[in-house]
Amino acid sequence: MALFTFKGGVHPDDGKKLTMDKEVIEYVPKGDLVFPLSQHIGAPAKPLVKKGDRVVVGQKIAEAGGFVSANIHSSVSGTVKAIEKRLVPGGGKVESIVVENDNLYEEIDFSKNIRPLEELYREDVIDIIREAGIVGMGGAGFPTHVKLSPKNESEIDTIIVNGAECEPYLTSDYRRMLEEPEKVVVGLKIVINLFEHARGIIAIEDNKKEAIRLLKEMTKDEEKIQVNVLKTKYPQGAERQLIYANTGRYINSKMLPADAGCIVHNVDTIISIYEAVIEGRPLISRVVTVTGDCIEDPRNFIVRLGTDYQELIDAAGGFKTEPAKVISGGPMMGKALFSLNVPVTKGSSAILALSRDAVAESEPSDCIKCGRCLEICPGRVMPSLLCDYAEAGDLEQFVKNHGMECCECGCCSYVCPAKRHLTQIISGTRKVVLAQKKG
Amino acid sequence: MDESMVMVSASPHIREARSTTSIMGDVLIALLPAAVVGIFNFGFHAYLLIMACVVGCMVFEALIQRIFGKKITVRDLSAAVTGLLIALNLPPEFPIWMALIGCAFAIIVVKQMFGGIGQNFMNPALAARCFLMISFVGSMTRFTYDGITTATPLATLKAGGSVDLLSMFLGNEAGTIGETSAAALLAGGIYLLLRRVINIRIPFFYLISFSICIFIYALTAGNMCVYDAGIFLAAHLLGGGLILGAFFMATDYATSPITAAGKVVYGVLLGVLTFILRIFGASAEGVSYAIIISNLLVPLIEMCTKPKAFGAGFESKPLSENRGFVDKKEEKDKESTMRVTVAICIIGLVAGLALGTVYFVTKGPIEKTAEKNKQASYEKVFPEAEEFVSAEDISMDTANARIEELGASGVTLDEIVYAKSGGETAGYIVIVTTHEGYAGDIQMALGVDLNGVITGLTMLSIGETTNLGMEARDDPSFAAQYVGKPVDSFTVVKTEPANENEIKAISGATITSNAVTNAVNTALLYIHDMLGGAGNE
Repeated sequence: MALFTFKGGVHPDDGKKLTMDKEVIEYVPKGDLVFPLSQHIGAPAKPLVKKGDRVVVGQKIAEAGGFVSANIHSSVSGTVKAIEKRLVPGGGKVESIVVENDNLYEEIDFSKNIRPLEELYREDVIDIIREAGIVGMGGAGFPTHVKLSPKNESEIDTIIVNGAECEPYLTSDYRRMLEEPEKVVVGLKIVINLFEHARGIIAIEDNKKEAIRLLKEMTKDEEKIQVNVLKTKYPQGAERQLIYANTGRYINSKMLPADAGCIVHNVDTIISIYEAVIEGRPLISRVVTVTGDCIEDPRNFIVRLGTDYQELIDAAGGFKTEPAKVISGGPMMGKALFSLNVPVTKGSSAILALSRDAVAESEPSDCIKCGRCLEICPGRVMPSLLCDYAEAGDLEQFVKNHGMECCECGCCSYVCPAKRHLTQIISGTRKVVLAQKKG
Repeated sequence: MDESMVMVSASPHIREARSTTSIMGDVLIALLPAAVVGIFNFGFHAYLLIMACVVGCMVFEALIQRIFGKKITVRDLSAAVTGLLIALNLPPEFPIWMALIGCAFAIIVVKQMFGGIGQNFMNPALAARCFLMISFVGSMTRFTYDGITTATPLATLKAGGSVDLLSMFLGNEAGTIGETSAAALLAGGIYLLLRRVINIRIPFFYLISFSICIFIYALTAGNMCVYDAGIFLAAHLLGGGLILGAFFMATDYATSPITAAGKVVYGVLLGVLTFILRIFGASAEGVSYAIIISNLLVPLIEMCTKPKAFGAGFESKPLSENRGFVDKKEEKDKESTMRVTVAICIIGLVAGLALGTVYFVTKGPIEKTAEKNKQASYEKVFPEAEEFVSAEDISMDTANARIEELGASGVTLDEIVYAKSGGETAGYIVIVTTHEGYAGDIQMALGVDLNGVITGLTMLSIGETTNLGMEARDDPSFAAQYVGKPVDSFTVVKTEPANENEIKAISGATITSNAVTNAVNTALLYIHDMLGGAGNE
């Protein structure tokens, strides 16, 4: 069967073999847990607790600060130690609730949250999802209840589960699909039932054969669900490319997936929806891949949100060799860390420690006009040209030549033989343009 | 983790291993087979030329960057590629000092003056080739094979001769150092394609559009059958710098479009231009000029073929128009590419028509001038006659067959003219061409009276080396040696002539002297034969 794909993209060494066959194991944190109030797109959450309060696992400790915002629940039992600015993986300092772990893990009764499925209306399900604080767990952190309430509800006909996991080194989604496929299928069915005309697609890259086999087996009797096998290449899992690959529809930077009749969910998000609706559990944990050639024992952990990165690295045996670069997320779009004392957030998919930093090793030189960046650009813009405009400060031409359509996937910087920092310069310029628009 | 040692930078954090240096290295590797075949074919001097150009270009680049106070980037090997390409585009016996001038022009003027790598508007190696062609036309068009000066297969083809396809494929032919072996060049081209250094679009559309043009031309204007047209096409594909140009020079990054559609347009343009230049141009070769002209159009082509951003314009369309292949097959937007292709073709056609018009407008005056010049030279070689009438009763085919029977070779009789004085034929003028000149053909006019004695000799067209072979035209005392001597044939000597039938060679140009003498002897042979050996009575 022909594979589903898009035009462009790159094939970096995927490094997934380090953790592909490592079962997800639970890590129970020992130290303090930190809950940043802003780990999603939109308004920060408002704290519901104050210093000195005792909290238990599953307790809502901060509530959404608006419609586009999300609740935050404690993943641990203990005492609120402080509400202060703390460093987050993105590099900034964010107001956070710090809970001192009493190591008892006393839970609220999740069964109280469970309501029989047949009694639930569309609004009730979305309410449960909002209450559980679920956001897109692929990295962007868009609140899921907002995604599920599009203006053109009746036009939504495709729900896509993003199992592409095209970022190198990441294996958390793969392990989840392998170990909890029924949660993926049921979670998807819950979402499909929210829309009258919707069908479901589970999209998986063809390097995850076992997950494809398993999910095809499980959905063979499901009329409304199909498993699409995607060509393995980066950025197959990028929202716009994923929608195009699966449906042939286009969305650009000014559109939402719903404008093309689609809603896309990460595997972790779908499982969280399942856990919220069926098990009554709010979003308090996620799977994190701790990997890289500097990690003694690379692993996939199911981790309570708020756990310190340093603790997770120690749980994976610590550093084998001194890393040159530690990244939160994958090597293509992840953020380089300058401190390991940051908490796991709803969007933390991986901690990657590399012994070599390719960026520091190569110095940018003159563009040789080879056109590789243009050839691979999934957004079909001309990175080298945009970069020239950006460097010349010509924002008008930058916008005119579709500079705002860049999705910052990093392919152009990756392929550039002259080692120009194309993605970095373009993404910086996009921020300038956006800031000017606002101002 | 030592936090002071860890690197922080924006994503992406990994880079492909390929670098500018590795790409240039790949191009050098791909050119290696052609260079080796060239050295093997043409000998040590070819090797010296290649080394001189490669080293020369690198030295010039380092030097000029040093002078300009720029970062020295010789290590990216791009100068080495330019040097190798220049060498492969030179005739095997080309003087090294001239080659170095070409290298300096390529690197300093074409590349560095315009901003260095990636900024040059024209392929430096080809610019150097054209520069050398204009500056040193004699040396640039003198092709030897096995030590003998011969025409290139393409020149033979243009003159209507036949060529050996197999030896053209393998490279056992005259030509520039690197262009003769299609096999070696194709091997290199395939290597570049496999290594993904170049994209197939430019060479593919170049060769395809060129083939279509040539094939149609051969079938229609050339009046050939399909088989002959195929042979003609194969000879054109294998001959000259086409393969070298299509795979190695048209694909030069800085001077070819980076857009996918632009590459197609550029390839087609190259094919059509090469066809026009080869078939209708003055010289047998057209690849370098076609590429250079197209280089200049690249910014325009790129501007017209900018890709549409992913999903551009869909925000203002209703969902029903963005149904993708769920409801219907995706419609490819080829319109803009088509438009540009058509536009470029029209530009090509207009340019071709303009060339044709200029040709027709100037044809009359040029012919008139030529006729006048002819009359002038007739008078010069037969001062006693007042009237000159073309001998229409003598068939030149028969005449040429006759001199071949008489044992002449390397010479063609072009025209016989009656020189009349008072209405009576007083002698003949023979226009004769020798193919044995140092730099190709030499045409001359020869006056012979009824006694078979030469009344005058003048060169009509000659392109020999200045101050050496050109003395045959420029030094009147050379031609004067033939005049007024009642002999059957002349021989060339290097000392002062002792006998009437001895001609003193032009110093340093024995080949030219021999060629002219042989032509004169052949003409005499024919006239004496025609006069029935009565000339000396």
